[in-house]
Amino acid sequence: MSPEDKGRLGRRLGRILVLLPYAIRNPGISVDELAQRFGIARRELIDDLNLVFLCGLPGYGPGDLIDVSLEEDRVYVDMADYFSLPLRLTPTEALALYAGGEAIAALPGMEEAEALRRALGKLGRALGPGAGGDTSGIKVELDAGPQEHLESIQKALHERRRLRLEYFSASRGEMTQRTVDPWGLVAALGRWYVVAYDHRTRDERMFRTDRIKTVEVLDELADVPTDFDPDEYRGAWSGRRAPDVVSFEISPAAGRWFEDYYPVTRSAILDDGWSAIEIATSGEVWAATLLLRLGKDVRNVRPQVVADHARRLATALAQRHRSPEIGVAQGSAGLNL
Amino acid sequence: MARGYPGLMRRIERLINLIAALLEARRPLTAQDIRDTISGYDQLNHDAFRRAFERDKDALRSMGIPLDTVPADKMLDGRADGYIIAKSRYYLPELDLKPDELAALRIAAQAILGGATDAESGLMKLSVDSGGDPAPGPRVVWGADLAAEQPSLGAFYSALLDHKPVEFGYQTAGAAAASRRRVYPYGLVHRRGHWYVVGQDIDKDDVRAFKVARVSGAITRMDGSYSIPSSFDAAAHVGGEAWAIGPEASDATLVRFDASMRWWVEQNMRGLPTSPGAEGALDVEVPVANVDALISWIIGFGSEVEILAPESARRRLIEHLAPYLEQHLEQPA
Repeated sequence: MSPEDKGRLGRRLGRILVLLPYAIRNPGISVDELAQRFGIARRELIDDLNLVFLCGLPGYGPGDLIDVSLEEDRVYVDMADYFSLPLRLTPTEALALYAGGEAIAALPGMEEAEALRRALGKLGRALGPGAGGDTSGIKVELDAGPQEHLESIQKALHERRRLRLEYFSASRGEMTQRTVDPWGLVAALGRWYVVAYDHRTRDERMFRTDRIKTVEVLDELADVPTDFDPDEYRGAWSGRRAPDVVSFEISPAAGRWFEDYYPVTRSAILDDGWSAIEIATSGEVWAATLLLRLGKDVRNVRPQVVADHARRLATALAQRHRSPEIGVAQGSAGLNL
Repeated sequence: MARGYPGLMRRIERLINLIAALLEARRPLTAQDIRDTISGYDQLNHDAFRRAFERDKDALRSMGIPLDTVPADKMLDGRADGYIIAKSRYYLPELDLKPDELAALRIAAQAILGGATDAESGLMKLSVDSGGDPAPGPRVVWGADLAAEQPSLGAFYSALLDHKPVEFGYQTAGAAAASRRRVYPYGLVHRRGHWYVVGQDIDKDDVRAFKVARVSGAITRMDGSYSIPSSFDAAAHVGGEAWAIGPEASDATLVRFDASMRWWVEQNMRGLPTSPGAEGALDVEVPVANVDALISWIIGFGSEVEILAPESARRRLIEHLAPYLEQHLEQPA
């Protein structure tokens, strides 16, 4: 059985084992309501019910089979008391809910935080005999800069307000003033970013919250797309525009961890053990900084413009550190990346 | 087995019958009992049955169904292993989640990026007794990519919940080969974008933090059990900044932030000793134990930040950048 079939089997059976308790506890629920609740098509639901209809306990006589009936488009499931409760949460299900919950509950200005804490506490009981009461054993920490900045950002998100930011742009090597329409907060690589439309560059940007010097909530209303989806910003790169592709090769040592942390779209092991990598990025300068961090663990960078950015930044940094006269300010190297 | 949709349907039917029978059985059933009585197995010859039953057990266990094997010597007739599903470990306990608690969990489930499928299926189980329509979620404005879906993390968490010791290969920085570690997992910590499993290292007899990304190969469960010390704080055992964790002696490293970046230190690095530098700059004493990590961190600031001392760290930065430097630049003395 292929992994794909295996995944399909697990998902389908898993769904049926939750669908049955729900139908048993809500006799007479309509087909459409049940299908909607489980996010499946009406046809799929009827297939599931037809399948269950053939199941039951050994003997498999009329008194042993699960009794599924559809009357005037309403669903009734009987003779299956043993399926009236769902299966416990699996460790990975609990882990996902706890990790997401911990990340969200720690945000300031989150009116749901208190209910979330209560819910996570109760969840501990759903994890099986090993779980120790309220302690999930999971702790999530995300860098966010000062609390008051996050509070302002949250307020702007709730009220759909525009923000004015003083922001340190590593790519420009300077402070910048921005007026932005915030769309959401996305955590990646261990820190929170504001995803926003930047009026200066007329494009969307991800702003590291710890690099915001000041933030001011403006009276003006922000334009927010109705289809904003945080999932497009995984790995901290903007996903709305077709991303640029940067390709390079990394050493075996860097290859061991690189793919866990960066949005790798393609990778292949080369004859000498190095890996050919392609990453999706919306910023040439971001990519240049990343490559510079990898140092000699990287080679054959394409496109040339990214390699040029990296070389300019490297030159400026090296000039600053070359002087033996420690303590003499070299001033900004005047990067115009 | 027959591939494609009908085959899949037949197998799901058989699995539902198996779960039902093992949940309702008054005593553990042997493989022979299962073959003789459970619909879906009766058509198979002996070898085909064995293969199908092995696959089915694996499938159910991988979904988290507590299918227990009772060894033959614990069975009444003592001739063959028995199988049963313990109701107490199968059924989700009644949690009495209030509507606002479920709504809050829904936000958490929507926020998790990457592990969304697991979060959703968990939420469905928790919503079974909530009744009514699932309230449409609020506009989603939060997302967290925590790499919580990586399989090794699930394996550690599963062992932690069952209080089972684990053994795994661990690649430390700079070591040529992975070493074997035996650990009682106490907690999982996500910090600076990395997951750590914190627990008692059985051989070193001390609490250690292991970066999950450095775990190589399978994580195997060992026999035995352990208990987690009460009020154990896993986060306290995970190092802070990457540049503070490492094998190098913490030399007093002095880092200069230009006037334009002074605010960043004041906002994000409270607690470290500082002194005023030239032209409004701020010099910070950073306890560095990993110069490579320091260099990576410095690069992130563009050229607004400078390592002032020690000289060896300045040279390391230039060496690190060497592959990118233009040929015509003069070489350091």
